[in-house]
Amino acid sequence: MINLIIFTTLGLVLFGSFIVLALKGSPRSLPDSSAVHAISEIINLEGSSFSTAKRLLDDTDYQVLCSNPDLRRLAERFRNERRRLALTWISLLQNDLITLWRFRRFLIQRGVPSTVREELGTLQALVLSLVLLNFIRLSILAVGPFALPRATRQAGQLVDSMSKGAALVLGRIPAAGWAEIERSWVKSAA
Amino acid sequence: MYTTTVMVLSIGICVTAVLLELSAVLLLLRKSLWREYPFFFVYTIWLLVGNTAVLFVDLWSPHVYATVFWYGDSADIGLRLLVVWEVFRQTFPKNSGLSRSFSKGLGIVAVGLLIVACVTFWGYLNYGLPSPPAPSRVASWRPHLALDRSFGFVEALMILGTLVVARYYGVKCGRNIRGIALAFGAWASISTANNAMIDLANSFVPLFYYLRPLSFVIMLVVWIWALWVYEPNPPIRESEAVELNRWTEDWNRTISTARTLIRP
Repeated sequence: MINLIIFTTLGLVLFGSFIVLALKGSPRSLPDSSAVHAISEIINLEGSSFSTAKRLLDDTDYQVLCSNPDLRRLAERFRNERRRLALTWISLLQNDLITLWRFRRFLIQRGVPSTVREELGTLQALVLSLVLLNFIRLSILAVGPFALPRATRQAGQLVDSMSKGAALVLGRIPAAGWAEIERSWVKSAA
Repeated sequence: MYTTTVMVLSIGICVTAVLLELSAVLLLLRKSLWREYPFFFVYTIWLLVGNTAVLFVDLWSPHVYATVFWYGDSADIGLRLLVVWEVFRQTFPKNSGLSRSFSKGLGIVAVGLLIVACVTFWGYLNYGLPSPPAPSRVASWRPHLALDRSFGFVEALMILGTLVVARYYGVKCGRNIRGIALAFGAWASISTANNAMIDLANSFVPLFYYLRPLSFVIMLVVWIWALWVYEPNPPIRESEAVELNRWTEDWNRTISTARTLIRP
């Protein structure tokens, strides 16, 4: 009986999906000029190129200001300013991830080799990264920018899994380029 | 159950279906589309021959009609895979990078789905028969209904999967394949739900007389509309692997930045 109810439901859901697909029309494919545009966008990834994230989230200055009762109001303004900057930066990072994801789909569509496993790994990394960045955004809104490093330290394991998608693709790069990639990875992670 | 109105409507739908199948075959022949879509052509030929035979049996030997219909329908379940394959091979041509990358993985998924269909059919035959006694006519349909819904569901899922993957990578489908795939998938989905509903309750049996054949006729109409103009899938342009390397560098940099954010 359960089997039949499941089939009835799934059949109707599938039918609905086909109707939705039919109504949506064909996907928009990227023209040639978009490829050039996409590459130039990727070269100038705004969120990723911001190199002083550590300083943005460092609360040393804030603590110094707070330690002086006369500078409390200034400390509060400083904190609000940092919060605004951190939120902007996170939005840029999210945009970077989405741009990269779109560009990857574009490349695969244009015949660059990949596998289902790699694609699922990339998709997983993207979803986890976006969920995590949204979580951080909420935590910044709720408790401010300086509580973030302590509050999200436990999320480290999730972040490790984020890089799996990239690691799967890394194997395709010629061995000569690995050292450079490794150096930049270590440098940015330090 | 078999009133004169039902019989007349049933024969009317059968005749309409055969005429539409004949139109589809002629369309494929006249525009030489059969060279472009050979697997689909074989399936339409099968539909024309099979349904014409069923129609003649219905008119001249009604006592064997049900047997012929259901065995024909069971054979049709296997042949529908030709449509699935045609949609897949047209959407991801053999020489395209997408096919090179994913044909193996998607092939494994397809085999897995077929195994699921076999298991659900086998499970239904052994454990799934409902306890209340059904009318003898419906009871004799049941293995065919189970076979039809198990494989129909999987075939609809394969078509949907192909269309979703194509959409994900921005692969455009031409009018021909898009029409064939959407109509076939929608019909297979309705058929799956309809067959399950009949087994759930006998009150759905009258619905079966109209819904399934009518949805089949609508599918044929959409196929004819799709094939009316020759509009194959546009070719997929290829890119250089070096662009993916650049992407990898940027991806690593972005992920590293996100990582720095979490672990300053």
